[in-house]
Amino acid sequence: MRLPTMNKYTLYKLIARNADLKAERHPMLDKNRFMKFLMAFMWLYYAAILVFLGVVMAMGMKYSYNGVAAFHVFDGGMLWLLICDFWFRFVLQETPAQNVQPYALLPIRRSFLMNVYLARAGLSLGNLYWGFLLVPFALIAIVIPFGWLHSFGWLLGWWLLLVANGYAYLFCRALIMKHLAWTLLPAVIHGALIAIMLVPDKNPLDMPCTLFMYGFFKWAVLPFLCTMAVIAFFYWANYRLQMGMVHDEVAKKEDRELRHTSELSFLNRYGKLGEYMKLEVRQRMRNKSVRMGFLIGLGIMLMFSLVMYFSDVYDNSIMRSFICLYNYVILGMMTLVTIMCYEGNYIDGLMSRRESILQLLTAKYYFNVLLLLIPPIILLPLMIIGKMSVWMNVGYLFFTAGVVYPMLFQMAVYNDNTLPMNTKMTGKQGNMAQQIISMVILFLPLGLEKLAGLLLGEPWGYVLLAVMGIVGLATHRLWLRNVYTRFMARRYKNMEGFRASRQG
Amino acid sequence: MEIIIKDLKKTFGEKVAVDIPALTIRSGELLGLVGNNGAGKSTLFRLMLDLIKADTGTVCMKAGSPLPAPPLGECSSAAAPSALPFSENEALPQRGSGEGAGWSGEAINVAETEVWKDWTGAFVDESFLIDYLTPDEYFHFIARLTDTSDEQLQAFLDEYQHFMADELAGQKKLIRTLSAGNKQKVGIMAAMLLQPKVLILDEPFNFLDPSSQNAIKHLLQKYNKKTGATILVSSHNLQHTVDISSRIVLLEHGKVIQDIDNREHQAQSILENYFEINE
Repeated sequence: MRLPTMNKYTLYKLIARNADLKAERHPMLDKNRFMKFLMAFMWLYYAAILVFLGVVMAMGMKYSYNGVAAFHVFDGGMLWLLICDFWFRFVLQETPAQNVQPYALLPIRRSFLMNVYLARAGLSLGNLYWGFLLVPFALIAIVIPFGWLHSFGWLLGWWLLLVANGYAYLFCRALIMKHLAWTLLPAVIHGALIAIMLVPDKNPLDMPCTLFMYGFFKWAVLPFLCTMAVIAFFYWANYRLQMGMVHDEVAKKEDRELRHTSELSFLNRYGKLGEYMKLEVRQRMRNKSVRMGFLIGLGIMLMFSLVMYFSDVYDNSIMRSFICLYNYVILGMMTLVTIMCYEGNYIDGLMSRRESILQLLTAKYYFNVLLLLIPPIILLPLMIIGKMSVWMNVGYLFFTAGVVYPMLFQMAVYNDNTLPMNTKMTGKQGNMAQQIISMVILFLPLGLEKLAGLLLGEPWGYVLLAVMGIVGLATHRLWLRNVYTRFMARRYKNMEGFRASRQG
Repeated sequence: MEIIIKDLKKTFGEKVAVDIPALTIRSGELLGLVGNNGAGKSTLFRLMLDLIKADTGTVCMKAGSPLPAPPLGECSSAAAPSALPFSENEALPQRGSGEGAGWSGEAINVAETEVWKDWTGAFVDESFLIDYLTPDEYFHFIARLTDTSDEQLQAFLDEYQHFMADELAGQKKLIRTLSAGNKQKVGIMAAMLLQPKVLILDEPFNFLDPSSQNAIKHLLQKYNKKTGATILVSSHNLQHTVDISSRIVLLEHGKVIQDIDNREHQAQSILENYFEINE
């Protein structure tokens, strides 16, 4: 007997509806209306910033470069926008392989599902978000002087480039899911492009980019054909690669046996605290999301330091301070902003043991203080060539340990969303409070240092930072217990949040 | 260890999950908790372990005498060892020493102090397991937290070797890669590792093969007899529950429907009638 079949359009609508519901009902958003409001607010906020930038750039470039149309100047830097777009996608976009999994056992062809998700990725409204920047820019810099037709061509070109960029991202992301080392592929390509654009006195990519985009402006066939060929190539490459990934996702392939296990017996001498330290080490070593965060932090540290070492683009007082601070706080920030969110996966077990949260927090603090030994090693060459002072390093090291970390540890009281540890990094992992505290710890110390430097002169600004840090270090037991006591006062609310947002 | 529940109520929206005016689980009892899905068994265990907040009422633990039951004890925050909850002033009883709050006959409200965690072992679901550890690492972790020496841990593992069936000890597999049954075994063993005076297991027979189900039945009975620990087990498997429990509480819609003395296995027919097994 032939079973009734659903036509492909109806099936597409059904799958699309489910995908929308998945986003709408994400545990992070589903928990409270306030979070939904904040997400909407931030969406509008960043859109407003982009509109503002679009207008300012159109006006600014018009007056700054007499004789050269503003959009030519803008197009010369097109790679910057594409690089930013690529990396932003890591926090916002899932891969089709992750989405196809729930349908694996249903009588739907996987090839159809893959095409649905790849098509949706290309047609996603997310690819239009940069329109908040591009449309106002085009209105002022192209429509007024050159007319609508050129403006449409230019905007259509940008859209196609962003779609191609999106597929390139999906391809790299799928490779990274296979092995973390693939992160180097986009990192090296983008690093090389940035170096080519920054290191020589004149950016050699400026003219080719300008000419390429001018082709869209003129409705020339070649740029459109080239971009569509790139889209077609990455669509095909994604299809081939991700079909294989679906199988891995469904089979939940993971190395069944550990190749290397370490007893970490040198930590035994620290008793219970040592056991929690072991947890910290193993959590980073054995869970993809946690390890990825750590490696990204390390990669950013190295990249900033290398650029600073080999070029003079960051050779000003503010950037020097920012890069030094960033190197010290980044590793802590990558994990401590979401402190307790990974533990949400086994919070009931932890809460069944007396004062285990206090021991865990203490171990986390010691572990992160030990991580502060890495930045001075990376920054040592910069200290040797005199681009960064030793005092600055001393100041930020202690300030991070004794002031920034205590601020980050406050999140242990308020974080109540579980993050998956070993599924690949999926989007929407941070809430607004986490983003706000990230901003505060990146900019508050800079302001303090500059103010103290202004009032007291160098190196007293750094000495002040160091003294504040030493006070925080010396009193760590007190403030850790305070965090623990407040966590326990909120424990029911937090545990409820952890359970509600646990996935799988 | 005696567990005293008084005026305990928990609702989720309109739904009453637990509503128990009074229930005392006497020291040394092996209590089976049965009921249909949504009866409130797991919620009751979570309330007893202070993992969710009760709307009203208390769960207290108290060093009690074996059967017959003493009169219902009162518990209050005044009975807790410290006026400040979760402060470092808490008296820390040594495991098995019989000293400290809870061992001296004072009733301890589980929501107001953490001392009871030193003598309570529990496994409710996978959120009790740290799944990026191997079983050995996890047992070692729990052993360290509960001041169990390496020798005691080894003796414990030797005793449970049959139950582990060569699939857990010495394996380099992470807990998350284990089968559901083996995860269940790890959870049960970790709960028993600290030699608890109160042991709470939610659906311990789930996912286990028949041999392991029988093994866990014998282990629980043996442990109960040997240590006099108070054991609470919830299960949908009526036969197993009747086989091991000295008392069975039937829960439905959060309320205690029947409280059955099962020392002579007399609960069998009552439960079969209730669940209409023979119709």
